[in-house]
Amino acid sequence: MSMQVRDLIKAVRGCKTQQKIREVITRESALIRNSFRKEDKINRPRNIYKLIYIHMLGFPSEFGQLECLKLIASPSYIGKRIGYLGLSILVKENQEVLFMSTNIIRNDLSSEDRYIVGLALAALGNIGSSEMLRDLAPEIEKLMESESSYLKKKATLVAIRTIRLVPESVDRFIGKVRTLIGEKNHGVVLTGLQLVLSIVKTEPETIVKFRKLVPGLVRMLKSLINSGYSSEYDFRGTADPFLQYNILRLLRYLGEGSKKSSKLMADILTQVGTSGGITKNVEIAILYEAVLTILSIESDSKLRVTAINTLSRFLSGRHNNSKYVALNTLLKAVNTEPKSLKRHRKVIVECLKDQDISIRRRALDLVFGIMDKQNVESLTQELLDCLPKAENEFRYDITAKICTAIEKFPPNDKWQIDTLIKVLTIGGQYIRDDVSSMMTSVIGRNPDLQYYTLKKLFNILLNDRYRNQTFLQVSSWVIGEYGDILMQKSEKDGELITTTQALDLFQILLESSRTTDGTKYYILTALIKFSTRIEGHDELIKKIIKPYREHVNVELQQRACEFFLLFDYSEIRDPILDRMPVFVEKEIELEIEEEISENNNKGINYNLQENTHTIQNQINNIQNIQNIPNVQNTQNTEMNELLMLNTDTKKTQTQNKQDSLNFLKEIFNGSSSSNTNNMNNMNNNVNNNMNNNGGQDLGLDLGLGLGLGLGLGMNNQSQRQNQNQNKMQMQKQQNQNQTINQNKNQNQNQRQVQNQSQNKSQNQNQNQNQNQSKVQNQPIIVYEKNGMKIEMNFKVGNIRGAPAVMSIIKTTNSSPLLISNYLLQVAVPKTLKAQLSQPSGQNIPPNGNGSINQQLQIIKMVNQKTQLAILLRINYVINGQKIVENKEVSNIPIIF
Amino acid sequence: MIKFILIVNKLGQTRLAQYYTTGLSINKRVALENEITRRCLSRKDKECSFLEFRDLKVIYRRYASLFFLVGVDEEENELGILEFIHCLVETLDRYFENVCELDLMFNIDKAYMILDEMALNGNIIETNKKNIIAPLHIIDQVSKKLK
Repeated sequence: MSMQVRDLIKAVRGCKTQQKIREVITRESALIRNSFRKEDKINRPRNIYKLIYIHMLGFPSEFGQLECLKLIASPSYIGKRIGYLGLSILVKENQEVLFMSTNIIRNDLSSEDRYIVGLALAALGNIGSSEMLRDLAPEIEKLMESESSYLKKKATLVAIRTIRLVPESVDRFIGKVRTLIGEKNHGVVLTGLQLVLSIVKTEPETIVKFRKLVPGLVRMLKSLINSGYSSEYDFRGTADPFLQYNILRLLRYLGEGSKKSSKLMADILTQVGTSGGITKNVEIAILYEAVLTILSIESDSKLRVTAINTLSRFLSGRHNNSKYVALNTLLKAVNTEPKSLKRHRKVIVECLKDQDISIRRRALDLVFGIMDKQNVESLTQELLDCLPKAENEFRYDITAKICTAIEKFPPNDKWQIDTLIKVLTIGGQYIRDDVSSMMTSVIGRNPDLQYYTLKKLFNILLNDRYRNQTFLQVSSWVIGEYGDILMQKSEKDGELITTTQALDLFQILLESSRTTDGTKYYILTALIKFSTRIEGHDELIKKIIKPYREHVNVELQQRACEFFLLFDYSEIRDPILDRMPVFVEKEIELEIEEEISENNNKGINYNLQENTHTIQNQINNIQNIQNIPNVQNTQNTEMNELLMLNTDTKKTQTQNKQDSLNFLKEIFNGSSSSNTNNMNNMNNNVNNNMNNNGGQDLGLDLGLGLGLGLGLGMNNQSQRQNQNQNKMQMQKQQNQNQTINQNKNQNQNQRQVQNQSQNKSQNQNQNQNQNQSKVQNQPIIVYEKNGMKIEMNFKVGNIRGAPAVMSIIKTTNSSPLLISNYLLQVAVPKTLKAQLSQPSGQNIPPNGNGSINQQLQIIKMVNQKTQLAILLRINYVINGQKIVENKEVSNIPIIF
Repeated sequence: MIKFILIVNKLGQTRLAQYYTTGLSINKRVALENEITRRCLSRKDKECSFLEFRDLKVIYRRYASLFFLVGVDEEENELGILEFIHCLVETLDRYFENVCELDLMFNIDKAYMILDEMALNGNIIETNKKNIIAPLHIIDQVSKKLK
């Protein structure tokens, strides 16, 4: 025999473990099932009751669904009550059972007993499916005119559900609105207002019609405010706050876009906005809704200022909840009311110190929102002050905002540098990585401030107080790069900064266990640069570098080896370690806007990990100087770097330099020979080289390592091998170059001519490729539905030596609805490999106000001609509907 | 619009759950309840009563050992919902006379009825305690007579 409900609950409460609960429930479920099978009518309500409890605990209860139907069909009210409860809780998802209940519900809707009708309406309102509601719409309509306000309000809510699930039924209910709102019973009026809202949302055209309601609504609101204490709907001293804020919300919809209606409600809004106190939550709730309405409708500027002031009052209050909503609302108003917002700077900044993280986070967004050139200094200082006290995850947010501020609104370069150093020292470990590149670029373009910056960084390093890795990396790069300036000027100033001091510092840092390997790369590079900047310290530097040739970290080891060898080739060393050209940000930005270059930059990021930024800068710099038109379009990234290096050092005139550099270029030509068909002697040589076990890789690595002072990772080769190979490689290179020189022409002039012509042909190639890519650049519309459009453009190129297609996928939304949870998946034939970057967002705002960009790289894995075909799976949610679609894209005019 | 109403105790056990959205399987529901409850319980008194959860705003309030959680969409007035929670608690209190966790557990049907009188389909219908409880009193009288 199954137990009483009370006993079951007691039994479950008595269980000590989840496992025990499971046992009790399983046993009881079996008993209930048995009882159902025996058609045990007497215990049916009790069993369903128990199932409701079991369902709430998260256990299966489907077998009780049909029993619920039997219960609601029973004549007794008690049975019906439990049956309907079971129906709305247990049967929610099962459309078939729900559909079967339609007729029983229809009967109950016409019952004489209004409580039975009430039960049926409640069930319909909570779980009615679109079929049921379509069938029962006439009954619902009739009940909305019922004498009893109890039924009227419930029927109205069912009507709201009907409109939501069956939008075409909206006409049926429009006519009912006026009488509902005119009722005395607050419950009916409240549901009436919500009905209007749902109609307006479903059919925006009806707003014009409903604007006639505005005077009545205003009157109603006025009487609520002025009525004072009314016993029936008084809620903590305020007359029906729920009705009040629902009226305000409806007014918002009706006032938007209509000057006339907005004018009609201006007075009452002013009254609400100025009269209410802000001590009780009820009052704040109404004020808050009023503020939202004022900011949304066409109100005059005075009223808007009042609204912002009200929110500011919330901020200085002591309720966290009202602070939260106020900050959220102010964030929305940042663009429309910037001036009045800025007046409340103090209160907003104060919120940065709040104890609640969600409030601080919003305050931070808002502080950033009101930032401009005038207040950036003080606001950034405030943010810096918060930094040490904040918890770690919040620190990332703060530093990110500070960095954006430094980038966006710098009043002058000195401030920019000072602030950057401050952020680096205080929050270096919580900082986004491109800060280092920002720092180097600012220093690079401000020769006047270089000494100032260097001295500052050096002194901080000396005092040894800040040892966060980002700071160490940036400062060692800067000191390495501009070490000569530091030494020369400090000597003039009588400051006590000596080269030995700097070298000692570097050595201490290198030996410290607190310095990560990533930072040590930077320090080694700084050391080798130092050797060219200041003469006479080679031996000391060698001594410092020497032990790292046997370091356990391969990358560190390789650098040490390469750098150590460089001392023997001082004629290569100087140009290779030459000062970085000045980095011009604006032009870079423009280039980055040409999305494809961004695409390639990303590729580099993946390859070079922590060193990306320096390399990036260098590439960009060189590109600027040489004015090479966006070569990145067509060449693969490594080739690119080499090419850049090539052009950079071309400036240097020494013949020896030319040799070594030309060699690098040769390698480059060799690796791209399949592309350019530029076969000649040199390439043959290089091709031989490539056949030598990993020759190409080594060549490339060496090239990079020497040229940029930053080596790519080697593939787990032992140190000795590594070193030997390097040496051999170097010798080979020179030999080759010599023979090439001899074979080719001994005449240097002719050689240069040849170089030039080669460059020319290369440029031509690039141009051709560019033209080609322009042709392919026409975006193809691959998907267009529900106002969502996906466009793709394609460019043929190379990724790490393999033929590849780069594509930018742009998704826009021209529909009036928000598209959310957007997710794109890509599949390609097995011979290809696809790589899709993170999308720039998940939601696309309506009416074409925004887009999502994503980059796709397709690399060919097999050496045969392939027709490009892509299969897309598009997931998104529009209008609350989840859509998943597959789309094959086969009309791409690319065979590669 | 209200998406769900949850009552849980401070151990995170669900004591009442009403969902106004469809499409949640049992497993997903349990996972959702667990996660929201966990996040609510871990919050400190000084933090505000709102948290963002997926695309929902969750408004919660603690009364003795019970947490009342309401999930709403973007448009809903958070402060208003706080009042609604208070109204719900007051109504339960009036009906059960000093409501406690056990009252809810042993009279879950009544608790659901009170909720259905107050909100339907994610909209608020009635906030007057007397009007809400009236139908329940009638039922109680009828059942007494039957006994």
